[in-house]
Amino acid sequence: MKLLLVDDEEKFVSRLAERLELRGFEADWATTYEEALAKVRAEKYDIAVLDVKMPSMSGIDLKNRIEKMTTGIKFIFVTGHGSEQDYDAVCREAVCCIIKPFKIETLIEKIEQALQI
Amino acid sequence: MEKICAEGLTFFGKTNRLISHELKNIFAIISETLGLLDELMELSGRGTALTPERLRSMSDSIIEEVERANTVIRCMNTFAHSVDEFISEVDLGEITFLMIQLLKLNPISKTVMIEYLKGEPCKIYTSPFFLGNLLYHTFHFALSAVAPEKYIKISIHVDSPRVEVDIFGIAPDSPKSFPTPPEELLVKTLGAEIWFDRSAGRVQVVLPQKMAGGPAAALLVK
Repeated sequence: MKLLLVDDEEKFVSRLAERLELRGFEADWATTYEEALAKVRAEKYDIAVLDVKMPSMSGIDLKNRIEKMTTGIKFIFVTGHGSEQDYDAVCREAVCCIIKPFKIETLIEKIEQALQI
Repeated sequence: MEKICAEGLTFFGKTNRLISHELKNIFAIISETLGLLDELMELSGRGTALTPERLRSMSDSIIEEVERANTVIRCMNTFAHSVDEFISEVDLGEITFLMIQLLKLNPISKTVMIEYLKGEPCKIYTSPFFLGNLLYHTFHFALSAVAPEKYIKISIHVDSPRVEVDIFGIAPDSPKSFPTPPEELLVKTLGAEIWFDRSAGRVQVVLPQKMAGGPAAALLVK
């Protein structure tokens, strides 16, 4: 299974990718929407894990761009927003979303759920 | 009067959201770093080498994030104190710097270079909270309408009995309008003026050195 992780916090996204790889996932990462779109153009991903709030383009807009380029990809949003209102608004756009910081087991659970839908 | 109070509360809420978002990002980095460290240590117990360089890089990274969090909390504390005395003598340079620091928490600023040319100390008598609010709005506009060079320059000049905050680097062809009603309200409250020279890509905030009366003064409860 191939994952694409997108977040402007490089240390966060690179370490998360490394931890997922240790668990047997194939995980690419990007810190800008341009990099993310280039990777989607070049590779086929099963799941994209997107940060909601990024410079230049929001995670929701990035999801819309990716959907126009490829099919069959599932989305999980990651957000630093804590309020229920923000959380609900984001969840309407994706299979699921999780709030930072989170346990890696929670993300893996969400990945498995997303693949079953 | 209600409008300016509502604007103040909105600004307070917005700032709180930015700060909590930043802190959550920092906690997420620390959490992932510690998680990875734990897993690498487990692997090293099973024979996979964990080099001192790798350990050092991860411990340095945790120290950096703790320092980053400390800077954010210091800003939050300074900002929270801006309502201690509703009208007081304030250092314009310090408030400008604080607002730039807060703005740097906004994703909009991550792709723009902000240069702040701090001049001589410049004390003015005004409402520190609404002054911060006006500067934040103005800097935010400049970032959202930045020229392709992605470079904003901010400086302060004294032209007694007024002081000016100059912001350069706005795209002359930006379709965004400025000032909008919230800035106009803040300008009126502070007895200030805003000049937007679109062709020069420049905004100038002109403040009285001593704010006399005005809507902000009327908010003081005696």
